[in-house]
Amino acid sequence: MSAADGSLSAYVESTIIMTTVRVVSPFVFTFGLFVMFHGAESAGGGFQGGAIVASSIIMLAFAFGIEPTREWLDDSVIRLIVGVGATTFVGIGIGALAFDGAFLEYAAYGISHGVKYGIELVELGIGAIVAGVIVSLFMNLAGGFNHDSGGDDT
Amino acid sequence: MTDALVLLVVVPIAASLFPVALGGRFERIGWFVAAAMGLVHLGLSATVAAQVLESGVISYAVGGFEPPFGIELVADGVSAPLLVLVSLSTLGVLAYARRAGPHSNAFYSELALLTAGISGVFATADVFNLYVFLEITGLATYALVASGRSPRAALASLKYLFVGTIGASLYLLGVGYLYIMTGTLNMADLTGAVASVGYTSPAILTSFGLIVTGLLVKVAVFPLHTWQPGAYAESPDTVSAYISALVSTAAAYALVRIIYAVYTTKFLDEISLAGDALVALASVSIVVGAVLAVMQSDLKRMLAYSSVSQFGLVVAAIGLANETALVGAVVHLVGHAVMKGGLFLTVGVFATGLGVRTVEDFAGLAAKAPISSAAFAVLAFSMVGIPPAVGFVGKWNIVVGAVEAGAWSVAAVVVVSTLLTLAYFGRVIERMYFTAPEPEADAVSTDGGNDAVEVSFGMRAVVVVSAVAAVVLGVLGSDLITVIQPALEVYF
Repeated sequence: MSAADGSLSAYVESTIIMTTVRVVSPFVFTFGLFVMFHGAESAGGGFQGGAIVASSIIMLAFAFGIEPTREWLDDSVIRLIVGVGATTFVGIGIGALAFDGAFLEYAAYGISHGVKYGIELVELGIGAIVAGVIVSLFMNLAGGFNHDSGGDDT
Repeated sequence: MTDALVLLVVVPIAASLFPVALGGRFERIGWFVAAAMGLVHLGLSATVAAQVLESGVISYAVGGFEPPFGIELVADGVSAPLLVLVSLSTLGVLAYARRAGPHSNAFYSELALLTAGISGVFATADVFNLYVFLEITGLATYALVASGRSPRAALASLKYLFVGTIGASLYLLGVGYLYIMTGTLNMADLTGAVASVGYTSPAILTSFGLIVTGLLVKVAVFPLHTWQPGAYAESPDTVSAYISALVSTAAAYALVRIIYAVYTTKFLDEISLAGDALVALASVSIVVGAVLAVMQSDLKRMLAYSSVSQFGLVVAAIGLANETALVGAVVHLVGHAVMKGGLFLTVGVFATGLGVRTVEDFAGLAAKAPISSAAFAVLAFSMVGIPPAVGFVGKWNIVVGAVEAGAWSVAAVVVVSTLLTLAYFGRVIERMYFTAPEPEADAVSTDGGNDAVEVSFGMRAVVVVSAVAAVVLGVLGSDLITVIQPALEVYF
């Protein structure tokens, strides 16, 4: 508890930072999505986009305090995001097998521009995994070592 | 039906998601998910093995992108038995973990990821894809080692993280050099491309040095083994058994593939220093690993140093560039996995049931736990290389190969290593069977027994099965060789 108290008292509200973050973070988030969607045709992709999306959330945590952010974005939500992302990737890969294609053979779906949409969905999935993992790593580190997260490992 | 090859990797990845997703609702669902995954994995690897027995080599183009541009997965006589080994080790370790734990859902997610990574290493035919799978294997292993509760486990995991990441980075750097020089990442395609660039090209030589050093870190050959004893000794027994059976094995397999499929024996002929250096390093590793094992008092640490020595044998055989020795190396990889995994589980049974962890505590153990002690003795003698067990088949082929290649020094080192192996296992077995237990040791064991869980039937059964498997594999050694040999013949 002492570590959590320490990090709370170390947090200082700053109007400038809060206002700036409030304005900037939606743009950063959108830019992250933009990068993810460009994985199929140009430079971009899930890894970069996911990192940018995660940075927008970490920025919120810096500006508004880590504990309020944790309450707003619960650990189970992050887990769900990671799970959905990975399921999307694996699902699209295995789905192609059902259409007599090879694993991840987007063309097998028989949709026009199927390859492009397939890659974009996979990139979104990767982006969700990357963003979720980065945010949960940040939250865990910020929680400190006295935080009762050891219960997970027993 | 060739989809089985890619599903070997995809199924464990999918399985790793369930414990995380459902963990909040069901406390102990992890084991069941992992067990289902293990059974499916066994079915898939058996399918792949049957196809390989029928048609020799099977290849799979991921996403329908034809190699060399797409990622290719390949199974042949070397990788198919190893894939079956992965399935069986997973099931064995799970049977043990049912009672012994760890029980957390996170643990089973990590175990499934590790299965995916190792299966990928065995299945891939693409050098960059190999890096990805090596990293999945590594990351899952770091997390698994850290699942031990002691602070020392965390330290061992951190050390492994640093050293392992450096190893993987060296490998990746080497792949970068290869790619710049040849413009391809497919192993079969690289064979010709490397030859046309020229074996003496400085960039090719650099890539060889970087890739081999990176993989040797992962194999844990002296003096690059520093992460390994801590990682094996401090992690939970279940994890020690699994990673000692498969993780270094995967890296050694990658070494075989890279050296023989990408650089080929012609490279080794032309650059004789490459093979000589490997053999010299491995010989040192064989002897030093065994000597360090003799010096240990903690049993798990002893087994860990024993692996440094045994993988020295494998690397020496790889460096010899001799067909018989290489077959011996692959047989020894399979055999070592069965033996060392079994030994770690046996030590786990002793530790849980009787609270003994050091060589001293082993006095008179045979009277208290006759079945597990017998299994330990069988596995230990197999590791020494006493026929008809599998340890003999591997070592014998390596020695014969060394003699064929005219490398008498290697043959001598292997024989000396056998004696040293006997030295470190002999003193344990001598204590188990011929030393009367000291009264003090008795008190210690009951103390340790208080917080320990009961040894389950599954835990004992796995230990016995691994001992039986070590002997049966030895008896069937020539059959195993007839499966492996055709896949290695093409390299010579």
